[in-house]
Amino acid sequence: MQAVIKTENLHKTYDDDGVPVHAVRGVDLEIHGGEFTALVGPSGSGKTTLLNMMAGLDTPSKGQAFLEDKSIGRMSGRELSDFRRDKIGFIFQAYNLIPVLTTAENVEYVMLLQGVSAEERRKRVEEMLEDVGLEDYIDTLPSKLSGGQQQRVAIARAMAAKPSLVMADEPTANLDSETSGELLDMMRELNRSTGMTFLFSTHDEIVMERATRVVILRDGRIAEDERKA
Amino acid sequence: MYLRFLKVAWRNLLRNKRRTLIAGIAIGIGLASLIFTDAVIIGMSDGLVRSATSSWMGDLQIHNQNFSRSMSAELTIERPDSVLSSLASDPRVKNYTRRVVAQGMLSSAADMSMVALYGIDPSRERSVSMLDEAMVEGSYVGGESHLVIGVDLADQLDVELGDRVVVTISMAGTGDLYQEMLRVGGLYRFGSAEFDKTTAFVSLEKAQSMLGLSGVHEIAVDYRGAEHWRSAPEEEIAHLAESGNVVESWVELLPQLQVMFEMSDLSTLIVGVVLFGIVIFGIINTLFMSIYERMFEFGVLKAIGTRATDVAKLMLMEAAWLGLLSIVLGSVLGLGLNLLFAEIGIDYTGIETAGVTFREPIYTISTANQFIKYPIIVFFVTLIVGVYPAVHAARLKPADAMRKSL
Ligand SMILES: Nc1ncnc2c1ncn2[C@@H]1O[C@H](COP(=O)(O)OP(=O)(O)OP(=O)(O)O)[C@@H](O)[C@H]1O
Ligand SMILES: [Mg+2]
Repeated sequence: MQAVIKTENLHKTYDDDGVPVHAVRGVDLEIHGGEFTALVGPSGSGKTTLLNMMAGLDTPSKGQAFLEDKSIGRMSGRELSDFRRDKIGFIFQAYNLIPVLTTAENVEYVMLLQGVSAEERRKRVEEMLEDVGLEDYIDTLPSKLSGGQQQRVAIARAMAAKPSLVMADEPTANLDSETSGELLDMMRELNRSTGMTFLFSTHDEIVMERATRVVILRDGRIAEDERKA
Repeated sequence: MYLRFLKVAWRNLLRNKRRTLIAGIAIGIGLASLIFTDAVIIGMSDGLVRSATSSWMGDLQIHNQNFSRSMSAELTIERPDSVLSSLASDPRVKNYTRRVVAQGMLSSAADMSMVALYGIDPSRERSVSMLDEAMVEGSYVGGESHLVIGVDLADQLDVELGDRVVVTISMAGTGDLYQEMLRVGGLYRFGSAEFDKTTAFVSLEKAQSMLGLSGVHEIAVDYRGAEHWRSAPEEEIAHLAESGNVVESWVELLPQLQVMFEMSDLSTLIVGVVLFGIVIFGIINTLFMSIYERMFEFGVLKAIGTRATDVAKLMLMEAAWLGLLSIVLGSVLGLGLNLLFAEIGIDYTGIETAGVTFREPIYTISTANQFIKYPIIVFFVTLIVGVYPAVHAARLKPADAMRKSL
């Protein structure tokens, strides 16, 4: 099977006031279509750094990342922007949403950038908000939503744009365990029903339990890579 | 999509209403000051020109083309009859009056003084100048040996109403000196020290007979369309002068005023530059504060695929909205100030500027230009200043922006 995203000997060394910090040291990772992968590791193990490089948000010090066999490192700023817009749906730990936009407008935003027609946008917004159970909050501003609801809007936004991969950096870190469980179940369900590929970093047992593949990162290297049935 | 961006930009601006309002008011005050300064300067120019033209000069004056150079008595207006008939037939000419001007000397027992002795047509003069209204003692020009001088000159010569003074002038053609004793029949005060001390009046016939001529040196014209600080366009008035004569408006007659107005343009410019210095600082500050508060948000915007150029556009739209808000506030404030001071005026009466004395308070004058030119300038300055924070926001690296703000 073709990899959605692939890294080859990826390294990242930060310069912290003259002291080199080796955040990622040689990661080879392939994420395949339809996978529901958890990237796990202690704080400082390089999860965020790795995800950022895979999404073209950060440049590797060495090695390369490929999306659908296209090298991310070769892209111009604008190509990278458009690549993220079209290929990757992001969910961050918190404050994902644009505060001045309503739920529907937030979900619509990336589609607007993509140039999706108004009618199609409306249809997808409706579908996605139903999928994440927020059809009653269409015109609500993010500040009026709970943390869990905000994350669900972020999922809806990420998926509405029909990316190749949804990437989430600790999507449950700010949520209580019950809400985290619900959110993960929902993502897993969406993964199953749509075949969308998910890659997320987490410390969370609740998240790991639900993953179909768990990649453990330690000191910037892959320590374990376990596929579950 | 840009419509949506405009909406987003507007909402972003409203996120911190107080800061936006403060910035808007600051820029607005800058704009209002410019509008008001301009209105005051135009009002002042208008007042000065009107003081000068309505008190004595008239809107236009016709002379022999050589008269201003030598002031010789024989240089009277050429073909006066056809000049007068073209004045009479021009609908823009409201009134006109003929004058004779002689350089002369007044002597009393106490002192003597050089004067310009004007012979005027008392009844026509009333309709053009304000000498009749400037009379403070005695009676207005009229009668054979009736002389009207300024109060200040009377003080200097130590004469009172009814006293006699000797007038000496040189006659036309021969240049022979002519002397005659005249009675001080009236005292006037225009309020301009220079004019009041050096100008005396007799009737037109008297002056003509003293000089031994039948023509006149000057025709002062009250001209429609030359009101206000604008002078009558040259090509429009040229036909009033027959060949051999010149017709001039205050621009030529009071060159010092023209110079002063040019200087006030310069001072408006300086006021403008200083104000904009402050305003620019305010805009940059406001926009950068809003960027720093929203670092994470910019990170998210860029991460999810907003192009750098679109982030810049978004910030520029915020600057544009801020500019728009500011010019609305500023224009309203400026208009308010203009209307207020057009009503109550700024008291400058009696103060002499460039040889002309304000006879009335300065009333601000609003022009369309003030509410078009200045707001447009302010808007574009805001936009141009917005480029810097916009580029800054566009260049933010999403990973950095999101890390720094956490
Ligand atoms: N911009 C940077 N400059 C310097 N050091 C950095 C920078 N970004 C990350 N690091 C360092 O790189 C290492 C890996 O950081 P990273 O954020 O990738 O870890 P993480 O696994 O995501 O941790 P956490 O679970 O706390 O989010 C850490 O030691 C961090 O301090
Ligand atoms: Mg992290």
